[in-house]
Order: sequence, then structure tokens, then C-alpha cells
Amino acid sequence: MTVAAEPTTTAAVRVHSLTHRYADGRVALNAVSFALQPGERVALVGPNGAGKTTLFLRLCGVLHGKPGEVNVCGLDPADPKQRKRMPERIGVVFQNPDDQLFSATVIEDVAFGPLNMGATPDDARRIAAESLETVGLKDCAERSPHKLSGGEKRRAALAGVLAMKPGVLLLDEPSMFLDPRGRRELIRTICDLPGTLLLATHDLEMVLDCCPRTIVLDGGKVMADGATSELLANEQLMTTHGLEVPYRLK
Amino acid sequence: MSLTVRDSTIPDSPVGRWDARWKLAAVVLAIVGVVVLRNPWPAGLAFGVALALALLGQVRWRVLGSRWLVLAVGVAPVLVVLPFTAENGWATAVAVGFRAFAVGTLAVVLVYTAPLARTFAAAHCLSVPGVLVQITQLAHRYSLLFFGEARRVRIAMRTRGFRSTTNAHTYRTLGSAAGTLLVRGGDRAEHVADAMRCRGFDGTYRPMSPFRTGVWDVVGFVVVVLSVAMLVLWDRI
Repeated sequence: MTVAAEPTTTAAVRVHSLTHRYADGRVALNAVSFALQPGERVALVGPNGAGKTTLFLRLCGVLHGKPGEVNVCGLDPADPKQRKRMPERIGVVFQNPDDQLFSATVIEDVAFGPLNMGATPDDARRIAAESLETVGLKDCAERSPHKLSGGEKRRAALAGVLAMKPGVLLLDEPSMFLDPRGRRELIRTICDLPGTLLLATHDLEMVLDCCPRTIVLDGGKVMADGATSELLANEQLMTTHGLEVPYRLK
Repeated sequence: MSLTVRDSTIPDSPVGRWDARWKLAAVVLAIVGVVVLRNPWPAGLAFGVALALALLGQVRWRVLGSRWLVLAVGVAPVLVVLPFTAENGWATAVAVGFRAFAVGTLAVVLVYTAPLARTFAAAHCLSVPGVLVQITQLAHRYSLLFFGEARRVRIAMRTRGFRSTTNAHTYRTLGSAAGTLLVRGGDRAEHVADAMRCRGFDGTYRPMSPFRTGVWDVVGFVVVVLSVAMLVLWDRI
């Protein structure tokens, strides 16, 4: 079922034979190749330890690698000069929102990125207000992040990344620990987001709602890449890679 | 689109509206002045000035009381010993007590009459290095998270039958729990640094709060600093 993605120059994200080995010798990613077209919404699914988070860290340049393996909107994160410009192009919402909300108030946190990009304090505040409104948190602007609920924290972290207006958005397990209402609200927000989206999750119902295309990653390798409805309905594929066919497709 | 800049948890008051830079400068100078007082009367009056500022800032009595209680526990040993050990002991003890409570009350004024982020930004405007401000701000944010995590670990231990006593098992268990918390703290610090880098952080502290100085900000600064300066003069004459 593996469909090798053809690298194209117009792709928003191009990953070519990406291999990542940690210092302890563990190979987290092994010759991963795919491409995301501008505006495409793709889910990245796989069991725990499949390499999803490592892939995200390589895409945004936090983990370093060899030149030519990754290209995001024309930038190669392996090049230190280009890496500095990565935050303008690619945004990451991490698994645990507490890792991402470090300022004293929500609005200060959301404005953190625009300020780093050179926005004036007034502009940063305006952009932050717009982002908070996008995720439905306008009333929480002056609250302390540690007083937010799990769902609110998740949306505040998303607002912090949206404020950077990235062309490519990476979401790592966005629905984890959310109650059904928080999850539904988040799905609505994600479905309305503009730009290219790569969504790593175990929540396959959410994948059905948000992403027409899915990549299955297991053991650091791309095991399948294709239409979500086809891949997620394939019981053998799902079982082999530690996943389950979503209830809706049974 | 507009957002209210005011923090809803900070009561609206003249001290709350005071430009955070002038307030920080005034309070820090006042604390320096209070610390050098030696006689009980000036020290008592300094405590009165600090209390007046707190009341003007609508700091709640409950907040003041709880902070005073902590202070009282801290200075009590000194106050008990001083009358019997120092020359002119009673007067010295009273002066030390008033000084401690005045400094504590001024600190409460600083913390409870403006959002912390604004006070941090004001400190940066007053030439406190950005890296120091950023570290303090992060330490404040993550200390809350750390205590939350410590509470969860404690609950997890208790639900599995752990009761703290004075035997080797208790010390070993508490040591493991503390180690776990530190390791988790290290991991979290790594994740936070990754998240900051992903949003373009290059080590520069960039506060968002704009400051505007009005006449009353300067007047407030002058009044507080002059009051404390006069107390210091009175103390020395």
C-alpha cells in the first residue's frame, strides 16, 4: 500500500530519504520520504514510538540532520541560516501544552512569537487578540496559563502558533486528554485552519473528520500513504501497525 | 478588535494604575531606606507608610494577614533572642520587627497591585538584564507546575499505601520521588526550550507591555521616596 511521494519543487513540505539516529544509536526515522502540497491536510498515524514526534522535530529544525533531507517552503532546516527563518514558515503544537505556555498571561504567550519576529508590541497584541479569537479564547487573554482547563490550554498553545501565521502547521496529538466537548471544539477549530497541516494522532475519528490523506508510520518507516478512507478501512494494515479501524468505518 | 489590558484579579486602585516602572523604582528605594532604619519610631512609621500603600492598592486583609503570618514565623526567633542579647535590646527588637513587616508589606504591594508580567517588564525597562527577567518569569510559571506535579506524585504514593515516617524506606521513597521530579523537570525544560526556539526565540527578552508615564506616576514616586528619605534622616539625627 506504500505510495512513494514524488518530491516536487512546489511542495510545501518535502521529505526525502530522511533518516534520524539518536545519540544512543536508536534509529527513530529510516529513509522516510513524502511530500505535502500547499493547503494539503495530512494525518500521520502509527503506534507509540513510531517516530512521529521525531519527524516533527526534524521538520521544524529542532533536531538537526543532513542537508537535502527536509525542505519546508523552500527552506532547509539543516542549514543554520535557513533554520533561523523556519519559525516564520512552520509552526508546531506540541503534545503537552504546558511545555508551550511559558508566559505569565495567555496574551503574552500568544504574542511571544510575533514579538520574536519583530512585530511592535501593539501589533503583537493585535495579532495575539486575533489568534485568540480564532480559537475561541478571547475572554481568557489576561488569565494565567496554569489556570486554564486542558482544552483551553490546548487552544491557547494553538493560538500561539497561529499568531506566527505559518504556512505549514504541525499538530502533535492535539486531542490527547481532552473531554468530548473540548475534543469536538478542537476538531472544529482544526478543520477551519488555513494552510498546510500535518496532524500526528491516535484519534482516528478525528483523522476522518480533518484529513483526506493519511501516512502510516511504524518503526521509523512510512508503511502506507494514501486516501484516509481507504487506509483506515484496511483492517489488516491497521492491526499490523498497532491501530484499529475507526468505529465509523466498521 | 480590542482586549482589556487589565488583569481582572488585580483590583482597580491608584496603586494598581501606577506606572509599574515608577512603582517598582519607588518600592525598591523604599525597601532600601527601610532596611537602614535603626530606631523603633521611624521603623514603625515606615511600616505605617507601607500599610497605607497596601490599603491604597486595595490589597485584601486576608492576603496581608497570611503574608504577615509567614513573616512573623520567620522573625520570631530573632525577636525573642534580641532583647536578651543586644545592647538596648527591646528597642532593637521592635525596630527589627517593624522593618521586617514594612519590607514584607512593600513586597506585597509590588506583587498584588500589578500583573507579574508587567512588573517583570518594568524591571527590564529599569535595566535589569533580560535574561534574568526571563529566568524569573519562567521560574514563576514552572514552579506552579512543579508543585502541581509534586502534589500528583504525593497522591499517587498515598493511594499505593505510602505513609511518611522516619524509617529508611520513607527516606528512600522520598528521595526517589524528588529525583523523579527533577528528571521530569529537566525533560520539561528541554521541551520548553524546543517550543521557544520553534517560535523564533533567540535569547532576547521582548516585553509586550507598553508603558506611559503621567504626572501622578512621578508624584507618587516622589512622595514615597521623600517620605522614606525623611524617615532615614529622622532616624539618623
